[in-house]
Amino acid sequence: MKRRLFVASLSASSLVGCGPVKERLTSSLHGVLDSAQVLNHAIIGTHGRARLYTEADINRDFRVNGLDTPSDQRYADAAREGFGAYRLPVEGLVDRPHTFTLAELRAMPQLAQITRHDCVEGWSQIGKWQGVPLATVIAMAQPKANARYVIFRCFDKDESGIEYYESLDLHEAAHPQTLLALDLNDKPLDPDHGAPVRLRIPTQLGYKSAKWVRKIELAAAFPTPQSKGGYWEDQGYEWYGGI
Amino acid sequence: MLETPVAGQRVYRHSIAARVTHWLWALAMLVLVMSGLQIFNAAPYLDASDNSNPARRILSFEAAKTADGRAIGTTTIFGHTFTTTHLLGYTDDGQGGEEERAFPGAVTLPATQDLADGRVWHFFFGWVLVLSLVTYVVVGAIRKDLRELILRPSDIPKLLPMQLYYLRLRKEPPPHGTYNPLQKVAYTTVLFGFIPLIILTGLALSPGIDAISGPLVWILGGRQFARTWHFTLMVLLIGYFITHLALVFSTGPWNNIKSMITGWYRLKEHDGVGV
Repeated sequence: MKRRLFVASLSASSLVGCGPVKERLTSSLHGVLDSAQVLNHAIIGTHGRARLYTEADINRDFRVNGLDTPSDQRYADAAREGFGAYRLPVEGLVDRPHTFTLAELRAMPQLAQITRHDCVEGWSQIGKWQGVPLATVIAMAQPKANARYVIFRCFDKDESGIEYYESLDLHEAAHPQTLLALDLNDKPLDPDHGAPVRLRIPTQLGYKSAKWVRKIELAAAFPTPQSKGGYWEDQGYEWYGGI
Repeated sequence: MLETPVAGQRVYRHSIAARVTHWLWALAMLVLVMSGLQIFNAAPYLDASDNSNPARRILSFEAAKTADGRAIGTTTIFGHTFTTTHLLGYTDDGQGGEEERAFPGAVTLPATQDLADGRVWHFFFGWVLVLSLVTYVVVGAIRKDLRELILRPSDIPKLLPMQLYYLRLRKEPPPHGTYNPLQKVAYTTVLFGFIPLIILTGLALSPGIDAISGPLVWILGGRQFARTWHFTLMVLLIGYFITHLALVFSTGPWNNIKSMITGWYRLKEHDGVGV
């Protein structure tokens, strides 16, 4: 009897308590709570190697993460003609800015790896990703000494017209499993999965693996002083996506 | 060893470190359960597999529409489906309405569906739990308090008599120290079993940890299985919490609660002291 009373009053108090908690999660409290991310990033980081799987483990009907095909007109035009006119500029704080065609990217040494994609929502899928190691592309562009971040500009916009973007630091970008993926499960990426080029970083959560990459910029800081380093980061997700 | 304990005698039972970490755990557990349910809601199912696999689903919550257009919530556990509208599957959205949602806003943090904020709360209080556990164990080992609490082989023969005493089939409990043998089983299991395991299974969900922890995720049966273990351990810890409260309240609540605030405990009949 006593126990039931207590449980009832516990859930009643949480009913009352939760509404205001959200409002009280002001920037200062958020700052305190966010300190955990600094620890997570410092302790876990982007080291080791993501587990490699076999062909038998692959999810052939690979679940789509984030948004479906972008509604952006530039993207629709590029997709209609099979991305033949697609160009990927690598620019910003680099000594040798370079613009890649899809054919050039495909002509470079390819890396195929069967890895697990872990979504921030909790689900996981296993797929075979093939493409160019991001490190190769960055090295060709020769980052300047003050370059700190690799920023990915993407084709997609949300309903408010905000462009999708994402960023990694140079250490994460240089991880040998971080790919500019061109193929998923032995087929060129389809629009829902990020065609024609997407980022694929298996040591971090799926939202870091930006789809529909349009431009790569090397920079000393995030694009704006308000930026948290990416579209999802600006929505409150952690910049360090390893946990 | 101390002199023979006398009922009514006041003894200093809980060090300041034990008291502070106890209440930190209480707070951390509450926040971790509520923010954990918030995170769970983003993928309201549990699989016994590595990647998500509906064929190995053991628990899921869904919303559906009946023939007459009413929304219902369902819970499916080991293939058996139950209607759980308003409680699970189709529940309060934290702003006065209802939506397709596994756990209701009343028990999630934040109340509205907000995965990003749920994660922020979860990871901060995850650290609170880890650091307070480490503090408790280190201080307890130095002060030798832990010896009173850890189950040892000599306690095993006392387990049945203690159970019989609780069931009122025996007049007196077997002689014991500060904690009776059943308490030792509970505290040892929780402190050195459930809590370390819930931390470990939570860490196993992180792709960054997976890349540096060797066979950890494999041993747990894969990432989705680790998520299932993490959830199961939460259920076990809630079960422990309810039992803990029942015992606190049935064995002199004010004396018990006061001792966890001031450190001083008034001995009752049959209470022991020491290891």
